[in-house]
This record gives sequence, structure tokens and C-alpha cells, in this order.
Amino acid sequence: MKKNVTGTTVIGRTLIYTLLILLAVISVLPFLIMFANATRSTIEIQQRALSLIPSRYLLDNLSHLTGGGSRGFNAMVGFRNSFVVSTGATSLAVYFSSLTAYGIVAYDWKMKHGFFAFIMGIMMIPTTVSTIGFYQFMMQLGWTNNLLPLILPAIASPTIVFFMRQYLLATLSLEMVEAARIDGSGEFATFNRIVLPIMKPAIATQAIFVFVATWNNLLLPLILLQRQNLFTMPIMVSLLRGDIYRTELGAIYLGLSMTVLPLFVVYFILSKYIIAGVALGGVKE
Amino acid sequence: MKKHKNNYAKYGYLFSIPFVLAFLLFQLFPLIQTVFVSFTDLRGVTMRIADANVLEQPFQNYIDIFHDPTFRTAFSNTILIWILNFVPQIVLALALAAWFTNNRLKIKAAGFFKVLFYMPNIITAASIAILFMALFAAPISPANDILVRLGFLDAPMHFFRSESFAQGTVAFIQFWMWYGNTMIILIAGILGISPTLFEAAAIDGATNIQTFFRVTLPSLKTIVLFTLVTSFVGGMQMFDIPNLLVDRSGPNNATLTTSVFIYNQAFSGSWMFNRAGAASMLMFIMISIVSGILFYTMRDRDAGKIKRERKIADKARRVG
Amino acid sequence: MKKLIALILVALLSVTLIACAGADSGGNDTDTAADTTTEAADDDAGADDTTDTGNDDTAGAGGTINLWSFTDEVPNMVDRFKELNPDFPYNVEVTIISTTDGAYQPALDGALVGGGSDAPDIFAAEAAFVLRYTQGDMSEFALPYADLGIDVDALIAEAQIASYTVDIGTRDGQVVGLGFQATGGAVIYRRSIAQDVWGTDDPDEVAGHIGGGSASWDQFMNAAREMDAAGYSMVSGAGDLWQVARNTGSPWINADNELYIAAERLAFMDVHRELYEGGLMNDTTAWSDAWFADMAGVGAREVFAFLGPAWLINYVMAGNSGGDAPGEGTFGDWGVAVPPQGFFWGGTWLIANAQGNEEVRSGVAQLIEWITLNSTEEGLQYKWANGTLFGEGGTKDVVASATVMDKADGTVEFLGGQDMFDIFIPAGEYASGTVLTQYDESINDWFMDASTEYATGSMTREEAIEFFKQQVASNLAVTVNFD
Repeated sequence: MKKNVTGTTVIGRTLIYTLLILLAVISVLPFLIMFANATRSTIEIQQRALSLIPSRYLLDNLSHLTGGGSRGFNAMVGFRNSFVVSTGATSLAVYFSSLTAYGIVAYDWKMKHGFFAFIMGIMMIPTTVSTIGFYQFMMQLGWTNNLLPLILPAIASPTIVFFMRQYLLATLSLEMVEAARIDGSGEFATFNRIVLPIMKPAIATQAIFVFVATWNNLLLPLILLQRQNLFTMPIMVSLLRGDIYRTELGAIYLGLSMTVLPLFVVYFILSKYIIAGVALGGVKE
Repeated sequence: MKKHKNNYAKYGYLFSIPFVLAFLLFQLFPLIQTVFVSFTDLRGVTMRIADANVLEQPFQNYIDIFHDPTFRTAFSNTILIWILNFVPQIVLALALAAWFTNNRLKIKAAGFFKVLFYMPNIITAASIAILFMALFAAPISPANDILVRLGFLDAPMHFFRSESFAQGTVAFIQFWMWYGNTMIILIAGILGISPTLFEAAAIDGATNIQTFFRVTLPSLKTIVLFTLVTSFVGGMQMFDIPNLLVDRSGPNNATLTTSVFIYNQAFSGSWMFNRAGAASMLMFIMISIVSGILFYTMRDRDAGKIKRERKIADKARRVG
Repeated sequence: MKKLIALILVALLSVTLIACAGADSGGNDTDTAADTTTEAADDDAGADDTTDTGNDDTAGAGGTINLWSFTDEVPNMVDRFKELNPDFPYNVEVTIISTTDGAYQPALDGALVGGGSDAPDIFAAEAAFVLRYTQGDMSEFALPYADLGIDVDALIAEAQIASYTVDIGTRDGQVVGLGFQATGGAVIYRRSIAQDVWGTDDPDEVAGHIGGGSASWDQFMNAAREMDAAGYSMVSGAGDLWQVARNTGSPWINADNELYIAAERLAFMDVHRELYEGGLMNDTTAWSDAWFADMAGVGAREVFAFLGPAWLINYVMAGNSGGDAPGEGTFGDWGVAVPPQGFFWGGTWLIANAQGNEEVRSGVAQLIEWITLNSTEEGLQYKWANGTLFGEGGTKDVVASATVMDKADGTVEFLGGQDMFDIFIPAGEYASGTVLTQYDESINDWFMDASTEYATGSMTREEAIEFFKQQVASNLAVTVNFD
């Protein structure tokens, strides 16, 4: 078989492209079916469940989902709560992680190396193992049915501290900090006015990941929130499994679509940065 | 100069305080409580931790859980589903990463493919679980529809009544959600390899496959290890998809994972926090041991190799 | 390219959001349960909300009653009550979580224990788990009706409430929960199919064919084979028969807190296997879309019968028959006949939270009394029985009060003009709380799972029983004796 300049046979190239296209189809097909069925009536779906051709029942499905006799699923409430939680957790996580990382990088203090080793150590602790104790603690505090326990723990995010430290080591010039000191800027103010802006690119990538991870978290909200108007999006979604929706296939697909759509939008706008961020996270060692 | 710096040292402590406080309060304290609960009689939704008493045989909960066949099922399912998802995932991700970084191959629309492959990773797992539940429902669902129409099935099939199908689906979803992520990490890793290595290989007339096994793969070891450990730690905590995909964890508890088991122990039925705590600790110990072993075996060899290389380099320098 | 996709998605999203908002505001004038939820939800934002007061235009001066339920049935009743009593000075905030996969109980437990201003003030409990809240682990949260100021004994006597509903709802001699229905079950069959196969659709003759009142499955299975030969499925799924079988024998847990599997329940596994192997059913799961499709006659094969109480007709079948008037879908093509074995299925009990908000207790009392004890023509049960709660022509149901049933007319179009009360009132005699336990919901699910494993041949009978026992042993604080 004759090899061309690429070092791969034509057949090899064809196979590679076939695989790539197949994977691309597998990535999007479930979502296409979902979007299509969101516009189709239950009867249509029952007769032919697989169709990519949209129908005209979007509004009907919507009224089954949210209209009169709505049975708990409320996308707007889910959006709002998830937004509050995700924004809160993201801000806290990136801000305090940057602060901690700056504390490690910019100052010489006795326990600094020990502290950093400690952060490396706790990075690997699986978070779910302490769920039982966390629930008990929140019961003691009376913090169930409250969004705070979903937000505040983000202050201690070892992985982000780690990432921010790597970033600061590479970009922070201590001369700049010195210059600020000479200008009479306080340490805290220096961090806020000078260091944070330098860290913007790192903050942006990390923010996306915390946001998405918090948005998608199911276990803790499921345990802590019983009040329907505090439900986050993943809990709202899990309501769609309920008996009362199983009559309305179109509405289930629509409900799913509504939960997925905002993530799609965010993703396609930011995909370049997200993928760059994943890559950065991966080469941290 | 030195004196001057010491004045600022306190800010190092100061800026770390919020992190430390949040860690103590929201991670360490709950962890300690979990350990405590695992030795007590804390059971029932109305019972408070303040009323819990340490058992006469403190390890009773551990003994119970250890001898519970359902826990063992959950544990082996978790491992099995993780392996079923990780092996194809790393193989495919390595192949894709090699293709995308191959200068001679020059894949067209690479960015487009990367964007699509990574996409499932950011979508809410809960939504994906319910979507797949609907896609494979019986007897009416898109999967049944197409398989019957194409003649692969005579009659609609109850997919989730098959243990292997249920487990396979969970593994597939995990695989599908994560291979793009792994691929991108590996691509970054390959791009980090010194280009001279590849040039040298090309000059030596190495084929793509030879280059991959002799140059790419050995240089990626650390990153593959990183992927392996993070995937393992994540996989052992798998909750959303197995919990939502099939009712009551499927046939013969096929999709019952350790996390779902713990959740069921603590937050349904008899609310057995104590047994859930013991199961959590067993899971923690197991994850720690396995990650430790993974790190130790692969790290040591690397470190040894680096030492050896350094020695060789030193020798060379001395000779030169 | 990517920008284009993003733009399209943004456009889609905004359409959805706008449509969403539109649907919400459109729903406001009908003032349904949903809107109560939505309004309350929209008004208090985020983590720092505790102030629910005064967010409604007129109502709400008395405070907010938190109502928890597993369907929208009770919330709809409450909304109707508010419409009929415009001066009812309370907001009602509704939480509905369905019982699928046992989701309702953990959430309700959490809410009750969590307490505070968000705690439920009234909650609904279903027959499969009501004992847990009236007599079992959670009974400390049940407030005696008498403590609400309801003259419960006199009203029960006056309304002649079915005794099993009272028994189930009584803790230490005090009534803490009552239902509004009597849920004795019957066979609900397709008239046209009966005509086709047996040449008659008369309830008495159909009962003869299926062994009505025989206390045995033999005749019923014979009929199933006849149906199969004629191209019909006898039932939609095995779960339909389980609703009957689980009422037989003795409770799952005996007095020593040990698991006990009655022979009658074990026998169901064989019936299940026969149904599966003989292809005598469509093999659906209750509450799945395929099960509903069978109600409309659009499933794999047309289904002859469902088994259930009057509420199944009222709440489930009518809405899923594919029509609203005789001739449309299967509407009007159904009849009711005596089942082979008496049974009851479901029923909703209302319980007031002993640790609920004391300021709204009188409102709670009004709602509970109206729904469970008022046997006048103004009470819920009279309207519910006659299908007049939401105006004339609604679907009818059998209610707990015999006083009301004496005044009610059970003729319904959905059943081709049959008076269903002729069958369902006697069927109510089979309803009894003696076979229930507080963990029935979970245990029944596990048993049905095990039975499916056996029926489909994935496990032997012994393996299936072993698996079932292990599920109970692993998940509940109940003693299980393995052989």
C-alpha cells in the first residue's frame, strides 16, 4: 500500500474521519432527539418516538409543564436558585482562592510550604464521604432549606488555590507589588487593585468550571433542600421522573431541553475558553 | 531587606485564614462528625447527633456494612462501571489526542470536533440521566422505535431489565461525558512534549504508530496518571446518573453504586445515618488506598527514572 | 459558524423564557395550585427569605399554610375551597413531590424534621406509607384532630366515615389523620372487547367470566387466555394484579419487627410468571407512559382490563383515555365489574403537623374538616362523590362518608352510563388497614422487583425471594430471617 506524505494511508484517513464524524453525531444526537421531541405531542411520540423533525406542539407541552395544574416543575425557579447558588459559589471560590494563592506566593512565612502541602493533600479528599456529617451539621445549625450551605463551602477550594498559585508563580512580578507598597498601598488593597486584574484570565477559566460544577451538583441540594421554591435546576429535573409527568412525554423532553439550553448557550459562546481551561488544568503537573 | 520582608509575613497567614476557616467548618468538621456517627446508634430521621451514643461494640456498623451483600454489590458495581467507562475512555482519548496533534495528519475542522466532543461534559448529569431514561424507555422510546423499525428487534425491549444493559448504559454515559475532557487534557500534554523529540523520530523514519508508542505515550505518563486518579476518585463517588437512570437501581441492584447505597441508607427508609457513616468511611479508606497505590507505583518509577537520567546527564557533563 | 450557532441558541432560549413567563402569567387568572407555588416562589428570593407575609393581593392576612402532597389532588381541592370561601384569610403554599421511586417520603421527613417557618402545616400521606406518619416512626408529628378544635368523634358518627380510614388514622385512641375516599377496587374493563370475545358487556356476566368474587385467580387466568387467543391482553402489566395480591395475607412486618412473607403474596409471583410467559399482558409498569397508552387503547395490544378503585377512573383513566366524550378514544367504552378478590388501593390521608405554625391552626382545621368530615352538601365529599367540585359533569368518586354516599349518584359517561357505586360501595368492605405496615411503599416495590426478576426468568424463585429479603435487610431496620 502506497503511503502518502502524511504517513497514513488513505484508508486510514477515511477511517479516522469516519470515527470523528460518528463521535460528533453521538455527541449531539441525543440532544437533537430531545429538542425535536420537545416540540412534538405525546401521541406523536408514542407513535414514532424517533424523529428529528420538529412538530408544532411546543406551546402545548409548555402548558403541560408550567401551566395550570403544574406539578412542581418550575424552570424559572430552578434557574433562579441555581443562578444564585452558582454565582455565589463561583465568586467566593475564585476570590478567596486567589487571595489564598497570593498569600502563598507573595509572602514568606514559616508555614507556607507546609500549608501548600496541606492544600495538595486535601485536594484528593473525596467530597461525598463527609456528606453525612455535613447534613448533621446543617441540621444542628438549622441551615437546611437554605442556599448558604451550598455557597459558603466554596471559600475553601483547594484545586483552585493550586491552579491560582501556579498561575501567580508564572505571572506575578513582585516588583510591581513593591512599587505599590512604596506608593503607600495597603497589602489588601494591592491584592484587590493590582493582583486581581492580573489574574483575570485564570479567574475566568476557573470561574467557568466552578459555575458549571455548582450548577450541575445534585447530591447536596437533594439532601438539604425540601422547599420547592428553593429547588435548584438538577432537583427540578429529577422531578420530571415523577409519575405525574409520565403521561406527558413531550413535556418531559421540553423540561429537559429547558434545563440544558442555557448550558448550550454558555458553552457555544465560551467553548474556546472552556477548552483552553481544561487543557491548562490538565497540565498542572 | 530580610527584616523588611518579615513585616509582611503576617499577611501570608491573614490571607489564608478564610480558606482555613471554611475548610475546618465545612469539610473537616463534617468529616469528623461522619467518623463519629459511624460509631454510634444514630438512626431515624428525628434523632439528633447530640442524642447519639457510641455503641458498645464501636465497630458494629462497620461489621454490618462489611457483611452486607448489598454493600458488596454496590461496591463491585462501582468498580465495574468505572472500569467499563475508563478503559475505552482512555484508549479513545489517547487515539484522538494523537490524531489531533499529528502534524502530518492535519485533521480538518479539529476545533469543531473538539467542541462537540467536550460538550456532553458540561451538561447537567441529572438531565442526561433522565434523557437517557426516556431514550431507552420501554416499550415506547426512540431506541425501541428505531431498533424495531430497522428490524433489529421483533418487539420493543425492556432495556433496563437487563443487568448488563443497565450497567453498560451508566458506563456509556460516563464514558460519553468524559472522553472529551480526557482527550483535551491529553492533547495539552502532547503539546507540552518537546517538539525535537517528534522531529527526531520523523528523521529516524518512525511511523505514526511507532512515534505514538515510543515517544508520545512514555512522555504522557504523568498526565495519564493524573487522569487515572482523578477519574477513579470521581468514579467511586458516581451518584447522579446511577441514581436517576433506573428506578431503584435497576434489576438485581445492577446500577447501585456506593454513593447511592450511602444515600439510601441515610436518607430513606429507616434513616440509618450510622451505617451510612460507616459505609462512607469504608469508601474513603478504599479510595485513599487505591489512589495511594496508583501514585506510589507510578511515581516511584518516574522519580527513579529521573534520578537515573540525572546521573547519566551528570556523567555526560563530567565527561564533556 | 460557531457564532451563528450561538446566536440561534440565544434566540431559542429567549423564546423559551418569554413563552415561559407568558404561560405563568396566563395561568394566574385560573388560580391553580401551580400559581400558588409560583407566586410564593417569585416573591421571596434566594437564601435569605423567611418573610412570606402579605405577598398576595387580598388573602394571606392570617399567614401562610404550607401544604405538602404527592399529587395535585389535595392542592386543587384547597384552591377550590379558597374560591368558595373568599374570606379564608390564609395563603396556601403548595409543595408537590411525586412518590416515584420513593421520593416523597424522604423529602417530607426532611421538611418535618427541619421545622421552622417552612415546615409543612398539613401533609398528605398515601395508604402505602400513611401508618409511618399516623402510628409509626414519624407519628410524633401528627397532631390529633381534636387538638385542632374539631369535634372529631361526633363528626365521624354523623358522616359514617368508613371504619378502616379511621383505624389507619388513629394513634392511641386519638384520630390524627383521615381520608376523603373509600378505595375499594374493582375490575374496570373495556366493553367493546367483552362484546367481541364473550358477546356481552354486562357487568354481572363479565364478572362471571373473570371469576368475580371467587377469591381465586384461576378463572381470571382462563379469561386471560381467552383474551390472548382473541388478540387482546388481559391486563396492561403485572403490577395491576399486584394491587390486588398485596391486600391479601398478613402484613410484611410482624409484631417482633421481623419480615414476614405471606403465602398469598408469594403466590403472586407465579401468577406474574404465567402472565409474562403466556404473553397475557403488555408488560408495562404502572405509571409509565406505556401503561397510560394502554388506557387509550394505543399500546402494544389492546388491553381488556385495569384493576383499581374509583379514583383510578376519576384521576387517571379518564384523562388518559384519549378523549373527553363518548366515542373519542376509549372514553365511554369502560364498565366496572366485581373483582376475583376484594382489594383496596391507595387513599389519601390528611395529617396536621404537630410542630407546624400554631397561628394558622384554625385554617388547617377548616381545611381538614371540610375535606374529611363535612358530610353536608357543602362539604368536599359530597361534591367529590358527585363530580361537582369544579362544576357540573366532573368525574365521580367513592368517598369515605357513607352518609354522603347515600345521597350520591354514581352514573358516569366514562363507564357508558353505568352507576359505578353499585360495584364500588360493596367493594369498600374489603378495605382494611390490617395488612398495612409503615414501610409498605418500599417493601412492595422491592417485592415487585423481585417478582419481575423471577417472572422474566432472570432469577429462580428462591433467588428472587432471597434478593427481596436482602433488600429489606440492607435498607430497613427490620429483622430478616434468612433460611
